[in-house]
Amino acid sequence: MDEQALIHEAQTGNLDAFNTLILHYQDSVYNTALRILGDEDHAADATQEAFISAFKSISSFRGGSFKAWLMRTVTNACYDELRRQKRRPTTPLEPDTDDGEEMDSPRWLADPGMTPDQKAEADELEHALQHCLNNLPLEFKSVVVMADIQGMDYSEVAVAVRVPLGTIKSRLARARLRLRECLQGFSELLPASFRLEEGSNA
Amino acid sequence: MNTRDLDLLSSYLDGQLKPSDSARLEARLSSDPDLRAVLDDLRAARGLLRQLPMRKAPRNFTLTPKMVGKNPPLPRSYSAFRFVTAFASLMLFFTLGLNFVVPQMTSQPPNFGYGGGGAPDLYAAQAPAAESSIATEAPAAAEPAEEPPLVLMAPQPTATIDSAGNSRDMETPAEKQGVTNETNVLEPPQAPEPAPPPIPQSWLIALAAVAVLGALIMVLMRQAAASRWRK
Repeated sequence: MDEQALIHEAQTGNLDAFNTLILHYQDSVYNTALRILGDEDHAADATQEAFISAFKSISSFRGGSFKAWLMRTVTNACYDELRRQKRRPTTPLEPDTDDGEEMDSPRWLADPGMTPDQKAEADELEHALQHCLNNLPLEFKSVVVMADIQGMDYSEVAVAVRVPLGTIKSRLARARLRLRECLQGFSELLPASFRLEEGSNA
Repeated sequence: MNTRDLDLLSSYLDGQLKPSDSARLEARLSSDPDLRAVLDDLRAARGLLRQLPMRKAPRNFTLTPKMVGKNPPLPRSYSAFRFVTAFASLMLFFTLGLNFVVPQMTSQPPNFGYGGGGAPDLYAAQAPAAESSIATEAPAAAEPAEEPPLVLMAPQPTATIDSAGNSRDMETPAEKQGVTNETNVLEPPQAPEPAPPPIPQSWLIALAAVAVLGALIMVLMRQAAASRWRK
């Protein structure tokens, strides 16, 4: 994939070229949104919004890391989504029972192919991490998601969140420390690899 | 643990320190177990984050023309043409207005209304025009004027008696001529020659050409973008 050629084509209005870029980056963009928002549906909405916004403003892309530019777009879409959630807090969607009353608990959401124990075990680390990520301030969360989950380098993250490099270093250090402190509360839930690592620190 | 040490440790973990800073920190780490413990904590947190599974996107997020609106994205130069066209149009209207207003202001003093100071001025301004009108019309009226007495000494209207026995005055040609002369004399004075417009016509033409050309180019650019869009 010749990324530069596709970007240039997209800048002239070629939607197919931009869609090729979308197919290449959609997993990264979706995962970033998912880790920032902590909700699959909201992450999908934010991802779609980010790509629409990116296409509309692609003429403003002046070169550099396209991934960083996309991450900035998705971060903004996540901020918008969070603001929307604050304005209009949603209630859990629960289906009615046969007699027309709402179910007391969302048991219907569970995957019938997995027992709750199996599901909890499989998602243990992910849930614990997501919980701790959700508790981070937004500006820390976006930095740590891009640097440690997406594997972007500091300069790319600085471009994506539009803050100086020194601020990125500082936010990343604090975010990691807070995550570590938060995860210590889940030590009995965490996998053996983490407990071993934790034990080796002592 | 101060914030500077925390930043240093985090950057060290990512290999972002200068070699000299890195060597200094390693020396401290070898002798400071608390510092080492914090480094291990940071490393553990980073390790866990890196273990997070990458989820596959739940669907394709590719876009359709409808999702991004009907208007295709336009090239960057479009905004420049839009600015030039708008500016030329604005200047054209401004100059047109100026050319319309300024000659009127220079040729006609303001009228301040009834009894105001403006009325005599208006008459004064019109008086020479009326005189000149008469003067210019003098040759035209010369032929009848050669016989001015004719007007005065015109034959009395003759009375004719129709078959019903009613008499009516017959107008003489001289009377007709006199009426005509009178109307000629009372004809309103011609408007004064308007002052030349402050902005030359060539400027107006140039501005109009730029505006039309710019608009044409914008239309063509839109059409080209739309055709690319449909591809």
